Amino acid sequence: MMQMLAAGGLPVLTDGVRVADEDNPRGYFEWERIRTLPRDPQLIGEAEGRVVKTISSLLRFLPPNRSYNVIFMRRPLGEVVASQAAMIARRKTSGPALDREAMVKALQTHLQEVAAWLATQPNLRVLWIEHAELLHDPALYAAEIIRFLGLPLNVEAMAAQMDRSLHRQMGRSQKP
Amino acid sequence: MSRHIARKALLIGWDAADWKIIHPLLDAGQMPFLESVINQGVMGNLSTLRPILSPLLWNSIATGKRADKHGILDFFEPDPHIGGIRPVSSTSRKVKAIWNILTQRQFKSHVVGWFAGHPAEPINGVSVSPLFPIPLSSSPENWPLAEGSIHPVGLRNTFEELRIHPAELTGEELLPFIPRAAEIDQSATNTLESLAKTLAECCSIHNAATWILENREWDFLAVFYNAIDHFCHRFMPYYPPAMEGVSELDAKLYKDVIPAAYRFQDMLLGRLLALAGPNATVMIVSDHGFHSDDLRPRSVPHEPAGNTVWHRPIGIVCMKGPGIRQDEQIYGTTLLDIAPTLLTIFGLPIGEDMDGRLMTQAFAEPVQPDLIPSWEDVPGECGMHPADLRVDPAAALAVIEQFAALGYVEAPGEDRTKAAASVMREQEFNLAGVYLDSFRPLQALPLLEKLHRANPDQVRFALELARCYLALQRMDDARNILVARAETEPKPWADWLLGVTYSEQGRHEAAMEHLLRAEKANPRLPDLHLRLGTTYRQMSRLDDARRAYERALELDGNSPAAYLGLATVSLSQRRNREAAEQALTAVGLDHYLPLGHLVLGFALTRLRQLDRARIAFETAISIAPGMLNAHRWLAAIHSQPGGDPVKAAEHREIARELRRQRQARKNAK
Repeated sequence: MMQMLAAGGLPVLTDGVRVADEDNPRGYFEWERIRTLPRDPQLIGEAEGRVVKTISSLLRFLPPNRSYNVIFMRRPLGEVVASQAAMIARRKTSGPALDREAMVKALQTHLQEVAAWLATQPNLRVLWIEHAELLHDPALYAAEIIRFLGLPLNVEAMAAQMDRSLHRQMGRSQKP
Repeated sequence: MSRHIARKALLIGWDAADWKIIHPLLDAGQMPFLESVINQGVMGNLSTLRPILSPLLWNSIATGKRADKHGILDFFEPDPHIGGIRPVSSTSRKVKAIWNILTQRQFKSHVVGWFAGHPAEPINGVSVSPLFPIPLSSSPENWPLAEGSIHPVGLRNTFEELRIHPAELTGEELLPFIPRAAEIDQSATNTLESLAKTLAECCSIHNAATWILENREWDFLAVFYNAIDHFCHRFMPYYPPAMEGVSELDAKLYKDVIPAAYRFQDMLLGRLLALAGPNATVMIVSDHGFHSDDLRPRSVPHEPAGNTVWHRPIGIVCMKGPGIRQDEQIYGTTLLDIAPTLLTIFGLPIGEDMDGRLMTQAFAEPVQPDLIPSWEDVPGECGMHPADLRVDPAAALAVIEQFAALGYVEAPGEDRTKAAASVMREQEFNLAGVYLDSFRPLQALPLLEKLHRANPDQVRFALELARCYLALQRMDDARNILVARAETEPKPWADWLLGVTYSEQGRHEAAMEHLLRAEKANPRLPDLHLRLGTTYRQMSRLDDARRAYERALELDGNSPAAYLGLATVSLSQRRNREAAEQALTAVGLDHYLPLGHLVLGFALTRLRQLDRARIAFETAISIAPGMLNAHRWLAAIHSQPGGDPVKAAEHREIARELRRQRQARKNAK
């Protein structure tokens, strides 16, 4: 999605700290400092007019005195957990002591809570996109994103950026 | 729907209030307002639940449900947003409190300071969270009110002004508690600071409650004061006679604090009564008592909630109002009964999923409560927080940990992670305690096994697991855990439980060896004498058993188990009338004592009072449905001429099935 938005012509806020790797060969487009949002919410001011990639749990810490357009990417949680488990293993860190099923349930609950919360936030507009749907019809969703943002982006360039190879984790997770 | 009994009700919570301290003050005329409530209404003991932890208990009072249902399991919970921990919050309560149910039925319902009441819930009235009175800053000039403390938010400024900061109190306010305060070396102790803090918080809560009564339409107000508990935890060692080890000077300086705290609380009660008016139902309750005599602990375990060793398992209840008997004592009330009784007073049905029952004895006329399956299934706005706020803290913490492991968010930090893990462990331990307390050892078992496996050095986990094995009759497993502990632990606990294990296996001599060793280590444990009594009884040494139970009663005059022990001895000695009286006292002190009802039933059967015996047996199986002997005797009673043959057959069938299951368990072993 970040590549798609960048290709469309949106300025992306990234620091290049996290470089491309086996998990994400096209790079991460991350801005590491967003992780400190809970203790320094005002730093989001530095992203004014730009795209920032973040995680659902940080949305609550966005200062309410600004307006935000949120493109919320959803994937089947089984895939998400499988992908995250692989990443955690490669990073040599350790996640919570939950089995896969419990982790899926925890994430499901988390997403329901975030969705319910987002619905009550007047300063956050949200466009929900299913990852698989996007892969299936990038042009349609590129147009949808342009409508949502109300910006003159390059729809062809956006659609061309979609790379099915990024979806390999889905295939992996479906193997027994 | 039933008609309401009263139009208004005031529920006043006095954390840790205890009749043992109140009675002398009443006799001296020093609590006139409480005395007026007692004279115009009913009073009695309020049996608590275990674990004796205030957040669990006050939420059981408010919901009529045990903690496994209401979900408040500790003082703290993992912070679902940033990791670490935070005080347990109203968003974690899984079920409706009485003020939510009343909101749902359009009553004007208010709540002030209730445990786990932050953030304030959006009810049909004013809600003031327990963070409202806390002095978050050392200066009264710069003292912001915690976010989320007040509902509706429009009252925030008004309530900000109602607070009293400890620094605003002067000697004049503190002297009634410590008349010789000037002699205290304040560089060496913080007693005055502690006193001022508790007093100021209490006044802030009281100001909020009286403001609501004076300025808002109201049908129901619940107000929670924690001052007595806080004063007791700080000053009980000095309550006369001062405990061993207290200096003569300190004993003189602080001897008045506890009585003064009760007198002060009584003054506040006077104001509440005046504002509530004569036609309101007023109920005063405490969640547990506080040891004030020889049972005061000489040491506090170095473990989370170790301070609860001070808590006595008997609280207080008194109630006056329309339809309530006057100047009467009531028996067998537990704190689970408060919410069902309040619902009945408002003419609302009791949820069948509530664990409490109506306090029938309190009413002048017989009251038949209406029932519904559950208030949780009743749709409509009830003033609970919206779903996005009602998070499962443990699941939310798992998500934070996952995101941190992925590098998406900052890790909460080692301290925060440890704190959260520790809180989750405590919650699991407390949940296991709830299951054991409600005769569900099978549900406690996986929790305790997990805790013991992960923390083999924690004595309390090991002992609780042993207790669970004992409840499941897994004697060898219990013994395996305890044998190692008995050798290494200087405390009497492992010996005590080993004594229990051997006693249950019929190895009475071995049991006695361990029990007497435990008694030598600490002769002041009433429950140990109870076990000695039981073991002597099993050895048919009935006079020794009686002496052991009497010794337990000397140490704790309100022990239901000691009365039950005496009842069983009396029954064995065919002193049936005595047995019935003792069993009746036992179940009066603790209604949820199925064996007490069973023994009462036996004694009444022998006295040929079959109707009363039937009620006793029925009560026993309503608490513990698998009580084989109660079913057998009910079958026998219903088989008598004039009995109910259908019920006789039902009980006979249940008894047969229970016997079959028991045999199957034996065979499986």
